[in-house]
Amino acid sequence: MITMGNAAPIMFGCLVVIMLIGFPVAFSLAALGIGFGYLSVALGFFPETFMANLPLRIFGIISNELLLAIPFFTFMGAILERCGLAEDLLEGTGQLFGGVAGGLGFAVIIVGAILGAITGTVAASVIAMGVISLPIMMRYGYDMRFATGVIAASGTITQLIPPSLVLVILADQLGRSVGDMYRAAIGPSMLQVAIFMAYTAALAVLVPKRMPALPAEARTVHGWKLWRQVLWGMVPSVVLIFLVLGTIFMGIATPTEAGALGAVGAIILAALHRRLSWTLVRQAMESTMRLSAMVMFILIGSTVFSLVFQGVDGNVWVEHMLSNLPGGPVGFLIAVNLFVFFLAFFLDFFEIAFIIVPLLAPVADKVLQPLLPPGAPPEAAVIWFGIILCVNMQTSFMHPPFGFALFYLRGIADQIFKNKTIPRPILSKDIYLGSIPWVVMQLMLVGVVIAWPGSVTYWLGAAEKIDLDKASETLRQMGGAATRGGATTLPGASAPAAAPEADPMEEIRRQMQQDADKKK
Amino acid sequence: MQGLTGRFVETVDWVSERLSRIASWCVLVSCAISAGNAMIRYGFNIGSNAWLELQWYLFAVTVFFGAPFLLKVNEHVRVDVLYVLRTGRGKAMTDLLGLIFFFMPVCLAMIHLSINIVTDSWHVQEMSSSAGGLIRWPVKALIPIGFVLLAIQGVVEIIKRVAFLRGTYDMDTHYEKPLQ
Repeated sequence: MITMGNAAPIMFGCLVVIMLIGFPVAFSLAALGIGFGYLSVALGFFPETFMANLPLRIFGIISNELLLAIPFFTFMGAILERCGLAEDLLEGTGQLFGGVAGGLGFAVIIVGAILGAITGTVAASVIAMGVISLPIMMRYGYDMRFATGVIAASGTITQLIPPSLVLVILADQLGRSVGDMYRAAIGPSMLQVAIFMAYTAALAVLVPKRMPALPAEARTVHGWKLWRQVLWGMVPSVVLIFLVLGTIFMGIATPTEAGALGAVGAIILAALHRRLSWTLVRQAMESTMRLSAMVMFILIGSTVFSLVFQGVDGNVWVEHMLSNLPGGPVGFLIAVNLFVFFLAFFLDFFEIAFIIVPLLAPVADKVLQPLLPPGAPPEAAVIWFGIILCVNMQTSFMHPPFGFALFYLRGIADQIFKNKTIPRPILSKDIYLGSIPWVVMQLMLVGVVIAWPGSVTYWLGAAEKIDLDKASETLRQMGGAATRGGATTLPGASAPAAAPEADPMEEIRRQMQQDADKKK
Repeated sequence: MQGLTGRFVETVDWVSERLSRIASWCVLVSCAISAGNAMIRYGFNIGSNAWLELQWYLFAVTVFFGAPFLLKVNEHVRVDVLYVLRTGRGKAMTDLLGLIFFFMPVCLAMIHLSINIVTDSWHVQEMSSSAGGLIRWPVKALIPIGFVLLAIQGVVEIIKRVAFLRGTYDMDTHYEKPLQ
């Protein structure tokens, strides 16, 4: 029989079974939560009023200002992925690096990192780079396993490189500031690019015939004209990245506003490239609506599940199980990473972030603090943990046969063969085998980030070293805003106990103050 | 499918489609407000809680008006490891059982649970706790409204699956994970 003691494990078991049925996740989760909730009420585990918390939680989700960043960042990416930026970037960098062995590989990695930062969707990066680079790579005799591997892997950097939607969601779930998550991800994403580059360079030296240099007649643009093309593709996007990140890091705007400003920037950038059209904006709006509604409903479903799961002491059960793992903190990290790696075969990032991460985070907070490098603030433990998981979950796009990036690439390869852009089909076997070295490299990065927490905390600490003039300037402005805004928001702030939700202006100021405080 | 049932299905599909366009527009408007708000605050040091709150009011519209349409176009994400192995009939059967035993109870429970917070909010004419904020009941009402819309679309999806299984309706049971 179900007792309070075994309710949590039973509920978790049901979760696995129900998810595998294949009915939409959001409603399966909610159904499990609600079914178990009313069962628990009937069995007397918690009072019926407990269920009345559900709509309040849902209201909490929709009134969460940070989650507004989801549509804004998605909208920004949706515009940029449609405005031909990928083509311009790849064309230029391909010509620039084409002359050396492996040059197209380097071009794909660099462009993948830039596209990843600004568009934020793996699918967009992989599809764009596949369509453009695969035919060229095939024409000039690149090994197809290398070609498909490098494209898929460079597309998945998107997950980790700031400003990434994934990090916003992790920040929300881990209860840390988005600015901190972004700072923490700088080191690992640079490492990831470096590892990919080093591997490509090593292969280019050892087996140049797998990735030959382009012949002279393929490189049609030279000199100043080439540089102009490269810069024209790259500079506006890099400026946009720094505007979005900079306004967050310097505490000028909240992450949500930075996303909205980024979307405005994206529209301007599309106009600069003469590709802005009403159709483009409408398509971007619609795909943003689809993604936002989907993600928010997964979040609603997970919230229903989590509320009831906590009601039957599920969090206590998980914590008990995880803190008794052999091997102390390192054992915990290894076990959790294996678990998430395995889950990522079946679940998307969003499901893992909304269901699993909140269960793991409190344990990680306790267990991991002793492993931090000296001088790092204790709240960095959870941030470090989040980044490790983020790197880990990148692999879910890459491992055969379910990996998403491989799946997109498969689709692209068929499509360009059908319209005769490439002379022969690309075998699934090549796509699968080609991905393996890159998955191994991603796992190596998981190992590096675990073994070297400094790679995450370095940039967290670096925020304090930002030059003092700028910091005090920002602080003065913040102070001004605070006193000015204070007058208008005082009534709300004076009765915090009566206020069921935080004053949004207050909230923004708090977030910005947090970021500004780092610079003191 | 003919007669009244057919008309009902068509009407509901049409409404969901229209609502999804409103939902899409809210993305653009909300984004413009947010960007404008940030620039005005930075430039002139004025902040307004009403404009800040309007952003997430609009986002709530996006979510709750978009969800029924997503159900119609089969874009709510699934764990598809086993699902993809099933035939068209198998998929329709899975959906039918899921809609009846998971989806509809969830919608009904949510409507039942959330209606209270709306009526409470309406009775006291609850205002935002921050100065200059907006009135609360309209956004709270979006929760039950959203689940009512979902439930209606759910009934339509059930009708479609039943008709498909009886061979009187042709539908695309193909499922592809949404791009991300």
